Amino acid sequence: MPPKPHRVLLDRVSGYADEAAAYMRRRKIARRPFARLYYANGRAAEADIDSDAGVALFAAADRLVLVAGNARRRRT
Amino acid sequence: MADAATATPTDGSAAAALAFLTEMSPDLRGAAILDGEGAVLAASGEDAAAWGEAARALLAAADLADPEPAEQVHVGSESGEVFALRHEGLVAVAVTERFALASLMLFDMRQALRDLAQPRREDGEEGGGGV
Repeated sequence: MPPKPHRVLLDRVSGYADEAAAYMRRRKIARRPFARLYYANGRAAEADIDSDAGVALFAAADRLVLVAGNARRRRT
Repeated sequence: MADAATATPTDGSAAAALAFLTEMSPDLRGAAILDGEGAVLAASGEDAAAWGEAARALLAAADLADPEPAEQVHVGSESGEVFALRHEGLVAVAVTERFALASLMLFDMRQALRDLAQPRREDGEEGGGGV
């Protein structure tokens, strides 16, 4: 006996959701820190994490995260 | 852009733009808006000076990477994501949770700066950017 049509649809949607969840899990585990720069002419570049600019970018970003954390603590 | 600080946007309109950004972005932890000189027009929390200092450091670091000034900066780390955008002589800096949607965040930031810069455009002010 073939499955009811709505079951097929539900199974398909569940399958997509499972795949998306797995993708997000992999992304969360596998993603490394990055620093991307975009320019007015549409050019984009990724700063090397070990370069002077990369180190300075991550240091400045960490300071901003700290400041934002403090701002949020004060807000709540 | 020598007179960016004295031209509109006022602190009030910058605060409104910041409120817009905060409302539009559920992942946002905090943000600041700076003028072309690097002076803070509005910032989350009470420590505007800390925002200004950190934002200027980020933009300086971005400009270290290339002779051309970066228009957008996106840094992702374990502790969160940082966005910076230069638009029409203004700068928006935002800190979000990890995995915030970058395109949406930058769209909202651009929209906030565009709205903020509009009165200045209508007044015929120049929109250069120093920071």
